[in-house]
Amino acid sequence: MTPLLASLGAATPWLLWLLPLAGLPLLLSVTRRSPVASVAAAPEDPVSSGLRIALTAAGMLAIGGLVLALAGPYRAGERVTRTGIGAQISMLIDRSGSMNETFAGRQPSGAEESKAMASRRILRDFVGERAHDQFAVTAFSTAPMLVVPMTDRHDAVRAAIAAIDRPGLDYTNVARGLGMALSQFGAGAPGVSRALLLVSDGAAVIDPRIQAQLRAEFTKVQPNLYWLFLRTKGSPSIYDKPAGEDTPQAAPERHLDLFFKSLGVPYRAFEAEGADAVAGAVRQIEALERDPIPYTEERPRRNLTGWAYGLAAFGLLLLVLAKLAETDFLRRPVRERDAAAAGPARATPKKAAA
Amino acid sequence: MNVWTELPFARNLRDRRFQALAAALLLAGLAMVAPPLPLTRSGVSVLAVVDITGSMNVRDYTRDGRPASRLDIAKAALRTLLPELPCGSRLALALFTERRPFLLFAPIEVCADFAPLDGAIAGLDWRMAWEGDSRIASGLHRAITMAGELDTDLLFITDGQETPPLPANGIPPFEGMPGAVRGLIVGAGGYSLAPIPKFNDRGRETGFYAESEVQQENRFGPPPADAESREGYNPRNAPFGGAAARGEEHLSSVREPHLKALAAQTGLAYAHLDGPDLRAPLLAAATPRPLPGRLDPRPFLGAAALALVLASFLAGALRARLTPFTPSRTS
Repeated sequence: MTPLLASLGAATPWLLWLLPLAGLPLLLSVTRRSPVASVAAAPEDPVSSGLRIALTAAGMLAIGGLVLALAGPYRAGERVTRTGIGAQISMLIDRSGSMNETFAGRQPSGAEESKAMASRRILRDFVGERAHDQFAVTAFSTAPMLVVPMTDRHDAVRAAIAAIDRPGLDYTNVARGLGMALSQFGAGAPGVSRALLLVSDGAAVIDPRIQAQLRAEFTKVQPNLYWLFLRTKGSPSIYDKPAGEDTPQAAPERHLDLFFKSLGVPYRAFEAEGADAVAGAVRQIEALERDPIPYTEERPRRNLTGWAYGLAAFGLLLLVLAKLAETDFLRRPVRERDAAAAGPARATPKKAAA
Repeated sequence: MNVWTELPFARNLRDRRFQALAAALLLAGLAMVAPPLPLTRSGVSVLAVVDITGSMNVRDYTRDGRPASRLDIAKAALRTLLPELPCGSRLALALFTERRPFLLFAPIEVCADFAPLDGAIAGLDWRMAWEGDSRIASGLHRAITMAGELDTDLLFITDGQETPPLPANGIPPFEGMPGAVRGLIVGAGGYSLAPIPKFNDRGRETGFYAESEVQQENRFGPPPADAESREGYNPRNAPFGGAAARGEEHLSSVREPHLKALAAQTGLAYAHLDGPDLRAPLLAAATPRPLPGRLDPRPFLGAAALALVLASFLAGALRARLTPFTPSRTS
C-alpha cells in the first residue's frame, strides 16, 4: 500500500487545497426545502436517513472527484532496467580539413562524395539499427570536442553525425581526442560491451608522455578498439613500412597502428579506400559488437484523471436521479399523500422530506 | 398504483438546480471520454553559437555568491532555456572561436532528446577552441549563413571582444541580406573592465594577461585617420606611428556598442545576458514556427462542472436564508 501511495502525485497539486469544498454537502443539500411545522412529528424512518447519508456522500464524491480530476492525479512512471543486445559505442570522428576531400584526395565535384560525406551516410545508418545501442560522439581536430555524451537517444546521435560533413578544421590531433572519447564511457555498468570507434583519414604522432596516460586509460576502460582508416589514394597504408627511417614522424599511421596493437585491448583496423569498403567495415563492427547490454526503459506515468471524473460522474448521477425523483409532500393533497404512503415504494417521495 | 406516475417530473425538470446538476453530469461524462484537441502552437528552431574564446573565461558574473565566468553563465542560461522552450522546439549547437562557427550537431528536439542536449551544453569548454583568435564579426556573418542553411534562427552568445582588435576601417561588410535570418545576439559580460585569465599549454590557469601580451591595435590595412599626429609617424616606415600601441585590450568588458552595431548591420536583435534568462528575448526575436500541439479540454469541462455543482449546493443555502429555517432531523 505504501509504495502505491508514494507513487501517486498530482500535476497541479495546489488545486488540492480546494478539497475541503467536498465537505459542503455535509452542511447543505441540493434538494428543495419544505417548511414543516415539526419534523419530530414524522415517525422515525431509517430509509429516509439512509437516503440522506447516501445523497450527502454522493455530493461529496461529486465535488471531491471534480477537484481531484482538476488537479490531474497520476501514478508516477518508473524506470525498469532490462537487458538487450547492443554495446556502448564511443565514436571519435576526425573533423580535420582533409576529411572534406574525396578518397582520391580531391575536392568533391558533381556526384563525388567526400570522405566526410561517405562516413556521415554510413554511420547514420549504423546508428539506430539496434534499439539498445548507446552512442557518444566526440569530434577532434586540433582540440577534442565533446559533441554528444553517451546516450540512447538515437535522434540526437544522428543529428551529431549529420554535422560531420561540414567544413573541418586544421589538424589531426588524435591523442587528446582518444582521451576524451575514453572519458565518454563514464563509470558504467560492469559487463557492458564497450567499443571505441575511431574514424579518421590520417594519424599523428602521439606524445610519449600522453602515450603512457592513454595506455593507463585503455587498461582501465578496456574497450574494443576499432580504427576505421579512410585511406586516400596514394597515401601510405597502415601496413606500409617507410623506405627511409621507420619513425613515428615518417609514418604516423603505421606507428599509431603499432601503438594500438600494444595497448592490450581487442583491436582491429579497417582500411577503407572507398565508401563500399567503409560500409563493409561498419557491418563487421556491428556483427562483432553483439553482447547483452542493460538498458533502462521508462514506463510512462499513468494518468488517473479519467478515474477521478468517473467518480465525480457517479456522484453526480446519484444527485441528478435524486433531483429527478424529488417531491414535495406538502404541495400534494392529503389523500394522495396517504395513498402514496400506503403504496409499495414509499421511500422515494420521502427523499425530499429527509 | 405506480409511484413514478405521481412524481412531479415536470416541476423537477424545471428546477434550476436539477438543470445545473444534469449539465455538470454531462460535462463530467464528456470529460471522461473527450480526446485532446489538435492545436497549433508556436515553437522555435534555433542555432545556438557559443563563443568559447579566452575572454569568455573572464569571471565578472556571480553565481551562488561565487565568481562565475561568462562561459559558465552562458551555459547555465542555455540549460535553463532548454526546459522553458515549448516541446517540439529544436536546438542546434555550434562553437565559435577564430573566425567561424563549428557545428556540433544539427537541430535536436528539446523535450525528447533533452538529456543528450543538456549534456552537450554542459560539456562546452574553452579547451575545445582550436585557435586563439576571436574575429567576432566574421564569425557572426558565417553563423548567419550556417543558420540559413539549417533553416533556423540564430542565438549568438559572445562578449564582443575582437582579437585582434578591429582594423581602423571598422566592421567588415556583411554580404548576406540583413534580416533574412532572424535571431538574437547576446552580450555576455559585465560593463566594467576585468582581467582575462591566462592558461598554460596544459590547461592550468597561470594568471592574467598583461598589457604587453595582447595585440592592442590592428596594424593591418590602412592606418587610422589620426596616425599623422602620432609620435614617430612616417608614411612609409611607420604609418601607425613609432610607439608600440597601448590600450585596454588585455582587459575585457561586454562590448555593447560593437555588438549593437553588428546587430544593426545584420538585422538581428540584441540583448544583454543578465544571468540565466534568455527565454523572453529569444522568443521575441525568433521566428515562431508552427508545431502540432494538443489541448486537453478536460480542465475546462471539469472546472465548469465543479462550478455548477457548487452553485447548486450554495443555491440551497441562499434559499434557506430567504425561507424560514426548519431544523431537520439529526438522527
